[in-house]
Amino acid sequence: MKPHLVCPAAALAALVVLPFVLGPLHTNLMVRFAIEALFAVSLNLLLSFTGLLSFGHALYFGVGAYGAALILTHLEGIPLLAAVALSALAASLVGLVLSPLLVRVRATAFTMLTLAFGQLLYVLCSKFRAVTGGEDGIMGWTTPAMSLAGVFSLDVTQSVNIYFFAVGLSGLGILAMWHFTKTPMGSVMISIRDNQKRVDYLGYQVVLTKAVIFCLSGFFAGLAGAIYAVFNNLVSVGGVLHIMVSFQPLMAILVGGIGTFFGPILGSGLLLMLEEATQAYPELAQMISGLIFIAVVLFLPGGAISFGARIRAWWQKRAYLRKAREIAA
Amino acid sequence: MSPELQMYLAQGIHGLAYGMLLFLVASGLTLIFGMMGILNIAHASFFMLSAYLCVTVFNATGSFWLSLLLAPLAVALLGVLVERFLLRRAQASGLGHIAELLLTLGIALVMVEAVKLIWGTEGLQVMAPAPLAGLVNLGGLEYPVYRLFIIGLSLAVLGLLSLVLFRTRLGTIVRAAVSDPDMVSVLGVNTRRVFMLVFGLGTWMAGVAGVAAAPILTVFPGLADQMGMDAFVVVVVGGFGSLFGALVAALFLGELNAFGIQFIPKLSPVLMFAFMALVLAFKPTGLFGDRE
Repeated sequence: MKPHLVCPAAALAALVVLPFVLGPLHTNLMVRFAIEALFAVSLNLLLSFTGLLSFGHALYFGVGAYGAALILTHLEGIPLLAAVALSALAASLVGLVLSPLLVRVRATAFTMLTLAFGQLLYVLCSKFRAVTGGEDGIMGWTTPAMSLAGVFSLDVTQSVNIYFFAVGLSGLGILAMWHFTKTPMGSVMISIRDNQKRVDYLGYQVVLTKAVIFCLSGFFAGLAGAIYAVFNNLVSVGGVLHIMVSFQPLMAILVGGIGTFFGPILGSGLLLMLEEATQAYPELAQMISGLIFIAVVLFLPGGAISFGARIRAWWQKRAYLRKAREIAA
Repeated sequence: MSPELQMYLAQGIHGLAYGMLLFLVASGLTLIFGMMGILNIAHASFFMLSAYLCVTVFNATGSFWLSLLLAPLAVALLGVLVERFLLRRAQASGLGHIAELLLTLGIALVMVEAVKLIWGTEGLQVMAPAPLAGLVNLGGLEYPVYRLFIIGLSLAVLGLLSLVLFRTRLGTIVRAAVSDPDMVSVLGVNTRRVFMLVFGLGTWMAGVAGVAAAPILTVFPGLADQMGMDAFVVVVVGGFGSLFGALVAALFLGELNAFGIQFIPKLSPVLMFAFMALVLAFKPTGLFGDRE
């Protein structure tokens, strides 16, 4: 086996074994981790790679979740994967519809516009109870088994199976986004972040690239939402469209490390652990979120992933100092 | 006066009163943005905090006027501290405007939770002071005096603000710094201190609005979200950094809100966002702004 494949292979093996080692409680936690990580990475495509801060990413997550819930409730006999794919496509379509407006604004105006759209859908979904069930939401649909070409069937209502379903889809999604950042279009995306005017001047399609990014980011956020719906068997405005749903992945990116691809995944994991540790005090959740935002911006702008680099820098500095002292002596 | 005309007049003044309140909050927001490039997400939290402080001072002393004096000052002091010890350090983080947005978002979340811990989650009420509590007859329309007082108070603060901005040396510096902070700094002005003052002034105005709003709105932890969204929309629609734009947008949105509730109550929260999207679609810098 080639050496650079050892690590990914070991990680994959660990992921396969994990649900059998962990109890159902922690397996469910891993499912939530997979959903959060996919959601955070999709938002990170905008924040770290296009330089756009969105306060309304719950919009896409919510469309994906409601899409899956509505399809599974009203279209009997539809294959599970088709329902999930359709929901993600619906979220992607929302990105496409909004993109003529979103491509026109940058910086703070972009943040405010995404906030407005997110709140808009939140209000609309709370009011149109006939379709969305309002605050109560949609629940209690029967989730069909996932079948691949009729050969292989997986009942995703069971803890271990939903784990493979969620981790598998999230993993594929994250992998797809990772590859996107390496494509020529991904390079244009990063250049837009660094200097949009120059990219435009060089003749690259700024507007089109941004529209594609909004669709992609929306697609994977919607995918995360659809997995959430399948996992929870309950979708409500408070759970998938509330403004805190938009802030959760932002926090994961910030805690993990803004400007990196894998930081948000690390951040999602850390936040889930924190949530588990403080779950006895749910009323403090928002306070803790606020303090995390403040603390990370002030004291650790590089996030947790920058710890490695920091320790290395500190170690090198020590080594240099020791050497300098030896030379002086 | 016919009942229909009375309804239009009443809703019109309602909208005017809310629009002026909105302008008090949004003008501080847009001044701070113009000078420092920071959209202060926590701005409306200062508004809410002031309303709560008003309740406390009112309950302790029984004087509305004392709370109108004290609560905004306390809030302004907090604002100055936040600018000096938090925002100024965030600018060193190298994340640009993203750091400031996230930091002020964090402050907003902490303030909401702190308010819940201190005052609880139930809605609190303040009574308007005696001379302002009644109704006044406007050509056949019985209208609450207090809402007229809000319009007057807002006009007074607006007058004070224009006096400071257009008749003092500090105002000249502030206006210059809004258009080009770097150049003003190069000319030897301590812009950091001016920033701190403006931040204090902005939060003070939000504080005045908070106290003024306390008797007509229920004082509850969702107040900041409610006012905050409206104020952001005003700043975006009016144009970032434009005071005149904020005034026009605030008055327009106040009326839109008042008549929206009257005619299409179910969709009234949506109107505002739809209007903002419409403006941004045609002019991304807002109606009277020239920067993003």
